[in-house]
Amino acid sequence: MTISESTAAAGAGPDVSRIPAPHRPGVLARLRDRRVSGWLFLLPLIAFNLFVVLVPSAFSVWYSFTDWTGISSKANFIGLENYRNLLRDPEFVQGLEHNVLWTVFFLIVPMAMGLFGAYALSRIRRFRLLFRTLYFIPYIVASVVNASIWRSILDPQNGLGNLLHINPLGDQHLALWSVEFVNNWAWWGFLVVVFLAAMQGVNPSLYEAATMDGAGATRQFFAVTLPAIRPTFAFLGLMTIIWSFLAFDYVYILTQGGPAGSTDLLSTVAYRNAFSNLQGGYASATGIVMAFISGVVVTVYLVIRKTREWET
Amino acid sequence: MATISRRQLLGAGGTLGAMALLSACGSTDPGGSDDAITIWNNLADAQQNDYFRKHFAEGYRGKYPVRFSPKADSTIDRLIQTALAAGSGPSVIVTPGPSSFVSSYWSAGYLADLGPYVRHYGWTDKFAPWALSASQVDGKLVTLPASYETMVFYWNPATLDKLGLAPPKTLEEFESFCSEAKGKGHVPLSAGNADYKGANEWFVGLGLNHGAGPEAVHSALRGETKWTDPVFVDAIDRLATYFKKGWFGGGVDLYFTNNFPTTYQQLASGKAAGMLSGTWDFSNLGSYFGKAAGNDATWDWTTVPSLGKGVPRIVWDLAIGQSVGINTNFRNTAAAADYLNFLTTDLKTIIAGVERMNFEPPPIHISAADFSAEADPRIVRLYSQLSAARSIGYTTWTFFPQQTETYMIDYFENVITGRLSAKAYCAGIESRFSRERAEGRVPVAPKPGGGLS
Repeated sequence: MTISESTAAAGAGPDVSRIPAPHRPGVLARLRDRRVSGWLFLLPLIAFNLFVVLVPSAFSVWYSFTDWTGISSKANFIGLENYRNLLRDPEFVQGLEHNVLWTVFFLIVPMAMGLFGAYALSRIRRFRLLFRTLYFIPYIVASVVNASIWRSILDPQNGLGNLLHINPLGDQHLALWSVEFVNNWAWWGFLVVVFLAAMQGVNPSLYEAATMDGAGATRQFFAVTLPAIRPTFAFLGLMTIIWSFLAFDYVYILTQGGPAGSTDLLSTVAYRNAFSNLQGGYASATGIVMAFISGVVVTVYLVIRKTREWET
Repeated sequence: MATISRRQLLGAGGTLGAMALLSACGSTDPGGSDDAITIWNNLADAQQNDYFRKHFAEGYRGKYPVRFSPKADSTIDRLIQTALAAGSGPSVIVTPGPSSFVSSYWSAGYLADLGPYVRHYGWTDKFAPWALSASQVDGKLVTLPASYETMVFYWNPATLDKLGLAPPKTLEEFESFCSEAKGKGHVPLSAGNADYKGANEWFVGLGLNHGAGPEAVHSALRGETKWTDPVFVDAIDRLATYFKKGWFGGGVDLYFTNNFPTTYQQLASGKAAGMLSGTWDFSNLGSYFGKAAGNDATWDWTTVPSLGKGVPRIVWDLAIGQSVGINTNFRNTAAAADYLNFLTTDLKTIIAGVERMNFEPPPIHISAADFSAEADPRIVRLYSQLSAARSIGYTTWTFFPQQTETYMIDYFENVITGRLSAKAYCAGIESRFSRERAEGRVPVAPKPGGGLS
């Protein structure tokens, strides 16, 4: 019998003198407490994150207000000059424009391909695993390998470029789209797998009801599938925007931002300023702007999710 | 017997892992290890790496052994920069010439002053004066030139025989050469920057030194003429026109996608009539010509033609391809200086490297007599003529300050794609150059007609 039960049975207040002193749990017992042990498990991760994320981030913010070269320990505070220069810098503006184009492309093309691919896979029984694996393979291949393969494929003298009489990576009007195409080739399979997992969680009875109501596959996709996977769709949209502003590797490997800056993104501009021009402070300011844009996107997403009461 | 529980084992493992992680984050290797001189270098291939390790690292007999770590062309500068910023890095700091990063490294306190060793090792007598002058920052010698190079015109004799052409010498001959080669379905000059965007500056340098002339370039480097002067604008505009005509690489878009193997292949196969490039390609062409490539093609070189009126017929574009300095974090600067002296002035080792591996030698006094009978006559001819050169030009990676150089590389693409006029390009050079000149970041350039000694 517990203390409260015995008290209730007696119909009177507890006799304080008979209540044993509260048992003070030992260290081990406290460690077993789920809340404490949870924090203990998190502690190394938090410490690690502080060390590799927060500290460098804080330094980046500080350096963005200085004339730091990127290699020296000296840095003079120059206020907002780096940010003011960014607004006047045609390379930054061009990089930002390309990042926006990049984002729009990746919000439309791979998302549509991923949705279509996943929906098609969800409708078949045989070879589903095979196709899922095949779509996913480019995603796990290193970007430098993917890019090198595609550079050979698109080669204007010995590859597809020769066949089509175009130079996808050498023509300043095609280069950005070509790099996006190559990056998308490695990316959309990942979206297929994620969308497929979300689609497999949709209640089958919804499809049965839709079938009984005479809805075809297209109607079912728009009326059942798409609303049911909306949180996944929104989340991947959010991540696409964030990742689009972090894109670097395919551009750097395939074109180094050229020809004539036609594939420059904010990341390649920042890289060049940091390592070629030795303007570490200025490059930090570019990085902070990129982080700010991502922060705005995440905030908008969280607000929408809260107001629409989406579940993830 | 005491037993270790699973938790204890996991705990111990975690502690060890954390210690390993933290120790990896720390700097345990300031300026190399305590008991060795370390050097990172970017050479052409594994064969050159092995040779360098054996003869230029392990072959050194000094107070400390030398440990060599090969790095890729594309990453060595970034690796050195980040290592230095972290208080680490190799004992010997390698840079692609004295204008690239050297003054920033010096300002940041990463490079040791080599002045105290000049007299001891007799460097003033051993090196070409222009090279030592260009290696100074704030009046102090902070690096030594480890290799020097120049731009030349490469040609395949069989191809030119077939086309009935000869290597051009003057502006008129050059334009006629390219027109005829193009007209006959050939790429006039194989060229491309897909592997290395910095290739742009080779051609900008040619445009300036051979189009505007070394006197004008020297005057601008001294701040006496502005880069917006019509002599430079016209030279750049003329060069851009050549690109737009498809004379370099077969077309502007192809120039952006041609990699180095493609350019060498085009020269060897006869698809290209010639190639304007640096003498560093002596070591790269071997794989595409003759027995090694399974063909009977040969190559030869001659001086770059004049690309402007009133410009000397022969101009040797001077370049220090690699500079070496001492990391201030390395505790024994004197020992490292002794190694630098070996690396850059040990004539026997250097000549053997040139003969066997096509290494570029430092700008020390070399004559034809220094080479053995086995030496490639093309190499012997190069360094004999270069030593006797009287009219010199100025490469961007040796005599131009860092940010100006980067601008010249990046924005030249805008000029040849029609996004930027030659005038605006030159204005961009002027604005950056004047700022860096005011900051004292322009290397000292020798007089154009003064020769090399």
